[in-house]
Amino acid sequence: MRPALVALCVTLSTPVLAQDQAEVITDVVQNHVMPRYAALDEAAAKLDAAAQSDCHPESDDLRAAFNEAFDTWIGVSHLRFGPSETDDRAYALAFWPDPRGDTPSALRSLIAAEDPVVVSQKGYAEVSIAARGFYPLEFLLYDEEFATLAPESYRCALVQAIARDIAANAAAIYADWTGDYATLLQSPGENAAYRSAADVIQEFYDALGAGLEFTSDSRLARPMGSFDDPKPARAEARRSGRSLRHVQLSLAALSDLSARLAPSGSVAQDLEAAFEQAERLAAGLGDPIFAGVATPEGRFRVEALKTSVDRISALVNEELGPALGVAAGFNAADGD
Amino acid sequence: MNRLTLAASALALGALPATAQEARDVLDTYANIAEAAYGDSHHTALALKAAIHELVTDPSQDKLEAARAAWISARVPYQQTEVFRFGNPIVDDWEGRVNSWPLDEGLIDYVDASYGGPTDENEAAVVNVIGHPSFSLSGQTVDASEISTDLLADVLHEAAGVEANVATGYHAIEFLLWGQDLNGHGPGAGNRPWTDFAVGDSCTGGNCDRRAAYLLAATGLLVDDLEWMAAQWAEGGAAREAVLADETAGLTAILTGMGSLSYGEQAGERMRLGLMLNDPEEEHDCFSDNTHNSHYYDGMGVRNVYLGEYVRTDGTLVSGPSLSDLVSAKDPALDAEMQAKLDTTMAALGAIRTAAEQGFAYDMMLERGNAQGEDLVMAGVDGLIDQTRSIERVVAALGLNGVSIEGSDSLDAPDAVFQ
Repeated sequence: MRPALVALCVTLSTPVLAQDQAEVITDVVQNHVMPRYAALDEAAAKLDAAAQSDCHPESDDLRAAFNEAFDTWIGVSHLRFGPSETDDRAYALAFWPDPRGDTPSALRSLIAAEDPVVVSQKGYAEVSIAARGFYPLEFLLYDEEFATLAPESYRCALVQAIARDIAANAAAIYADWTGDYATLLQSPGENAAYRSAADVIQEFYDALGAGLEFTSDSRLARPMGSFDDPKPARAEARRSGRSLRHVQLSLAALSDLSARLAPSGSVAQDLEAAFEQAERLAAGLGDPIFAGVATPEGRFRVEALKTSVDRISALVNEELGPALGVAAGFNAADGD
Repeated sequence: MNRLTLAASALALGALPATAQEARDVLDTYANIAEAAYGDSHHTALALKAAIHELVTDPSQDKLEAARAAWISARVPYQQTEVFRFGNPIVDDWEGRVNSWPLDEGLIDYVDASYGGPTDENEAAVVNVIGHPSFSLSGQTVDASEISTDLLADVLHEAAGVEANVATGYHAIEFLLWGQDLNGHGPGAGNRPWTDFAVGDSCTGGNCDRRAAYLLAATGLLVDDLEWMAAQWAEGGAAREAVLADETAGLTAILTGMGSLSYGEQAGERMRLGLMLNDPEEEHDCFSDNTHNSHYYDGMGVRNVYLGEYVRTDGTLVSGPSLSDLVSAKDPALDAEMQAKLDTTMAALGAIRTAAEQGFAYDMMLERGNAQGEDLVMAGVDGLIDQTRSIERVVAALGLNGVSIEGSDSLDAPDAVFQ
């Protein structure tokens, strides 16, 4: 029995061929990365327009535009390389988790000082990332304290400055992708950043792994806290009721990437089944902001969802990595 | 043996993973460096303890400054051990007691009004245990009338499951020696008066006896913890045995430590984040303004384990067969690339250090719109990120592909799957 098993493993782990790698790269770039960043760019521009025409926190148009743009961000939030990292753009779109409460404190300082930095887009790009992007905007639109902080005129200017900054960042990322980054990924070996197709595959593979890890560790484990001390207040974007939605959107995006990366056969089937399981648990959870973690029953259900996400990570490490001929790389979430 | 055969066998060897003996020698060097660096950390912590004993027995400005100098010296070997953290679970599980950061220092002692109150994340952010012999924590009353090592390590440290509740380790001691740095982005570090440790009417800040007791207890714990870790790396110690047990896993541990410290931890959490937040307290040694040294010796630790060299605090060189030798035998160009990247990073971290020594402190570099500071810090960040890419190439070149860094049952104990 043993020799047969070993032989089977060797067959399964034969890395994909170079020509297949090139096809995978083209598919991921053109059908995963580009349409998603295009969607973010478009939705962010609409958010900016909505904020400039009506900055009131309870404006239906503004809230709808905010939610739509935030959705598109979650759809690319795992793609943390290249254009998203230039000039700290992704950090400035999405500073979270925020264990020290930097976002509310940065917003309070700006409002208390009525800091004139909000008047120029260039100026606002220098402000602490804790006061830039979707998460502080969520505070200004949905938090009871912030939605009423005086003076209203300054709060309005701040909402508009953040929306404008989000749109500028989203546009800059997409411009870089259409400019030359898509080409760069599709012509490895001709540039220093990616020396071979394997380097590019490693980048996508790392993005998939990092995305799964972030959803498990930050989106799910943080609010779970410990059994005796659950931390529902740590749920992501709970003020706008988006916590579970983010898990679902990220799973959908990661599932799409995984399907494009995995060579057909048992690896692809295993991954697809594992994603379906996680997506089914998420859809049936019925707890949009993970408030249930405070009860044993609710916690058990969130934990089951987390376990199903970790199961996908394990498959990515143990099956997809060897199939692609890459090892788990390092990502920005390593460390503590 | 003629020349042709030699060349052929060298080629054949080059295609194989490192021989067990070679890998074993490299792992020996790695463990020797760990033993020496933790040993040096222990010894410099003993010197710190002696200086702190002097300070609390006979407080004066000179004694306070001597204790601060001892703390800064103690950081030199310790920071060079951080590269052992992420690849070795025995270190990572223990590290939080020794070097946790950042901390909500209001847990420990008085703080300035600008610090704020309890937060959504941390109800214990302003407990001030030195000022309160009894207080409430997670609904329980805590008796803190006696400041003991048990109180610090078992009750206060990471109280309520919040990592910012740091009651032990270097940074708790740093806070007690320097106090809060209230200079924002301006020049100057924390400026705790020596009279915070004075007896009788000269005592400032209140509860000087409890402050002294806290400082002694925290330093005693640090010394004990470091002594324990040095022993784990000695001949027959658990950490050394774990590394030597399996060549592939051992080499993976070295590279995991190098990559995780370089990228996620140092480049990300400790450097880039502070820059992006423009927060003067987002620096690793925020009370003492010693961050430039901490970053520098972290970087040096990464280079040490690759080159198989460590210079001890007494000047002795610990060295032996290295990862660099292994890589060089397989792919000399990759070894040259890795070494060059490590050197580039050290030059960038050296530039930060030099600037800080000239008075341009790390917290000043973090100020909004400070272009020179941003350039200095980002050069270090870029170097660290860039060297991580080469570390990944080394992982591939050494045939460590497919080794799950997290570890899992089906890889670590394949038989378990069939049970």
